[in-house]
Amino acid sequence: MTDAPLTLNINGQDRRLGAVPDAERLLDTLRWRAGLKGTKEGCRTGDCGACTVLVGGEPTLSCLLLSREVTDEPITTIEGVATVPIGRAVIKAFAEAGAVQCGYCTPGFVVALAAQLGRSTTRPDVETLIDGLEGNLCRCTGYRAIERAVELARKAVP
Amino acid sequence: MRSDAEPKARGAVEYGADLEAPGMLWAALVRSPVAHGRIVHLDLAPARKMPGVVAAVGPDDLRTLLPKAALEAERPVFPLQEIRYLGEPVAAVAAQTLAQARRAAAAVKLDVETLRVDARIEDIFPEWPSAASAHDPHVVGHVHARYGDVDGKFRTADLVHSETYRTSGVHQVAIEAHACLAEIRDGTFCIRSSTQTPFGMREDVASVLGIPESKLLVEGSWVGGGFGGKGSAFLEPYALLLAIASGRPVKLALSYAEEFELGRTTLPAIIRLDTAVSRGRMVGRRVRLLLDTGASLPGRDFAVGYSIGFLLGPYRTEAYEIEGYALQTNKPPFGPHRAPFAPQSVFALESHIDGLARRLGTDPIEFRRLHAWRENDRTAYDQPVGPFGLEAGLEAAARTAAVWRTGLPAGHGIGVACGFWSTGVGAGGEARLFLQPDGLVILEGEREIGNGSVVQGLAIVAQRVLGLPASAIRVQYGDTATAPFDSGVYGSRTLAALGQAVEKAARNLEKSLASRVGVPEVRLELKNGQVVVVAGRRRQKLVDLLTPAERAAGGLESHGKHYGAEKKVDASRVLEGTVYPYNDFAASVHLAEVEVDRETGHIGVVRYAAFQDVGTAVDRTSVVSQVEGGIVMGLGTALSEEMMWTPEGRLANPGLLDYRLPRIRDAPPIHVDLIEGFAGAGPFGAKGIGEPPIIPVPAAIANAVADATGTRVFELPLTPERVARALKLL
Repeated sequence: MTDAPLTLNINGQDRRLGAVPDAERLLDTLRWRAGLKGTKEGCRTGDCGACTVLVGGEPTLSCLLLSREVTDEPITTIEGVATVPIGRAVIKAFAEAGAVQCGYCTPGFVVALAAQLGRSTTRPDVETLIDGLEGNLCRCTGYRAIERAVELARKAVP
Repeated sequence: MRSDAEPKARGAVEYGADLEAPGMLWAALVRSPVAHGRIVHLDLAPARKMPGVVAAVGPDDLRTLLPKAALEAERPVFPLQEIRYLGEPVAAVAAQTLAQARRAAAAVKLDVETLRVDARIEDIFPEWPSAASAHDPHVVGHVHARYGDVDGKFRTADLVHSETYRTSGVHQVAIEAHACLAEIRDGTFCIRSSTQTPFGMREDVASVLGIPESKLLVEGSWVGGGFGGKGSAFLEPYALLLAIASGRPVKLALSYAEEFELGRTTLPAIIRLDTAVSRGRMVGRRVRLLLDTGASLPGRDFAVGYSIGFLLGPYRTEAYEIEGYALQTNKPPFGPHRAPFAPQSVFALESHIDGLARRLGTDPIEFRRLHAWRENDRTAYDQPVGPFGLEAGLEAAARTAAVWRTGLPAGHGIGVACGFWSTGVGAGGEARLFLQPDGLVILEGEREIGNGSVVQGLAIVAQRVLGLPASAIRVQYGDTATAPFDSGVYGSRTLAALGQAVEKAARNLEKSLASRVGVPEVRLELKNGQVVVVAGRRRQKLVDLLTPAERAAGGLESHGKHYGAEKKVDASRVLEGTVYPYNDFAASVHLAEVEVDRETGHIGVVRYAAFQDVGTAVDRTSVVSQVEGGIVMGLGTALSEEMMWTPEGRLANPGLLDYRLPRIRDAPPIHVDLIEGFAGAGPFGAKGIGEPPIIPVPAAIANAVADATGTRVFELPLTPERVARALKLL
């Protein structure tokens, strides 16, 4: 196992992250080396979606990726999503819809929804957007408020 | 809008899983490979030699690191001899990285002499227990109560309806697994933890480690889901022990596999119900309950003593006999999970009543209404029923059911179920408010765990009393040394009980200000960022009303306390063990429409309606979201969630792939009807609402399946396999 220095492009910046073991997951690199703890650690088996980040703009489970696999692609975490207009609109929609309870799953939902809203020239309809959240688990809200947040966010994003 | 919503959505709040401290070590647990055994030899030396390891602790270290009391604890931190469940921690190690700690834990040498494993209720009692069974060493709790001429009612009954139901183990599955960080600061043992009950945690940890509470400080972090699973001491003693041994901060966080295998969860049960009917009414009931309580301590029969009353329901009962056994098995101890065991009890009772109504040819809603508690009725233990919205809920449900019934497609069915919950308004709490020139601070020891009762509920109580805008009110969190005492976030009590303390503190503030102005009452406003005291037409800035000492302190402090009166049960009805008084009832009536696939047994939930007695909805958005959340969690209990243990006591499905939680497309359309006007004990008549919405869900689904198919399923969850078997498709 080598622990070679690793540089990742995170939220638009090249971050030199020191010597990172080959087997380290992107989730752990983001949280414990880059200090970006808005990406949440859930199941670590790809079942809950709490650790969703954007890799090359696509929603990706950071618990299932090795950090060394993503040196060529830009990574955007919730901290990055929260600074762009679509991300801010989604966050506002979640807050207004009462879709945030314990909030642990929320950053993952926000990243997954913002990615879909920002993806293409044609806006997906609400049902398609909801389908896109099938990989994210929420234990508090029963999802109905999240669906209301999706509707609000879709209206808010031009 | 909740003040914590945006920061959480941005990923900007710190949960237990996020805790970090300079020089921190990572901990891993050494866990037993067998479910029952005796430790023959435990050697930590190989772990201590592994790379990165700073400390390793086991049973022997309790003697050297802790006061003598730690060895005399009812159940010491590590088992001194007997291992009671698979995965039980027997030692712990701390290393520079988590990977190093896990490798070192795997290097520990543990020789165990295996003992007979009793993993399931049937291993202990293959038949229903007899009178002599109470002396079986596996019986760690026994409750027996009786009222009225129950034998006579059964003897003269027109009909006796008898059934047996089975329920399964269910995990809370907070998305954030348990995590804590322990360190020693200036000789004080400090724990930061994702906990619902910081003060309860302090008491528990002090007791198990044999240290005085004054030496221990607990600070709650934000909680990534609790649902009852993040209460008393769990990981904290291990982390603190390692911090003492290493002199460094120690982080301990569970993997999901550990979370499942160590879970203090709802465990399986067998419930037998017999109901005597005369002239179309239920006149007598016998209840027998065998509840698996895992490796619970003897004499801690809270689970069975508390649960058994739910098997009589929110219905008038002329005569009953109830008997319950808490059975020690080789599983992790039973633990609270959102309305502990109530969804299971109510599944059995409400299925039973539903079947009985159908057998009698009576409408199931009308049959329940005939027996429903009304205000001033007495409970099974002879406590008065207060304002109670059950009948109103049933009437509303009947109207909705009639609409749904029209044009109901073939293969669909509609089910109804009722539930009641005793909200924990008795548990004490204190509030401290601090009115500053620019706004109000509410100081709390416990973090918001998600439902909104702290960050939103308490703030609204203060707002309503004082008149300040929400933007001028802030909840600030302290630790067990700086914050006022509170029992914690559990039992649906926070708003209803702690809210009363906040209400008193706010009224004290108002009184104090009114007397300064010389009027009977005042209101507060915020003008240009300044708190203004309004008395009729007179307005004064708050700063001008403060004494020099208050100005120096930064504002005016006010306290409020709420310690509920102790309720009593009629002891003459209790023959054995302890039953618990219930108080401040909230009623729930649920309706479900399902579609049953006659080939696969798969149940599709088409739509759902909940009629929830809330007393007063203090914050409508929060309550509706809470009700929806409870229902979807209950759909998991009803349809898919099941912890499966092998005869050797191994959990066969310790992960989300095989333990299926509801996903977004599993959530049906939900109509939430809040029933107001039946005031609870909380501020402005509020009732606690955290737990009630989950309670009737499995029963409503099962009754809808029976309505659709004419066939009843007697075991939870209603997986396609169980439904297919009931329909004789398998």
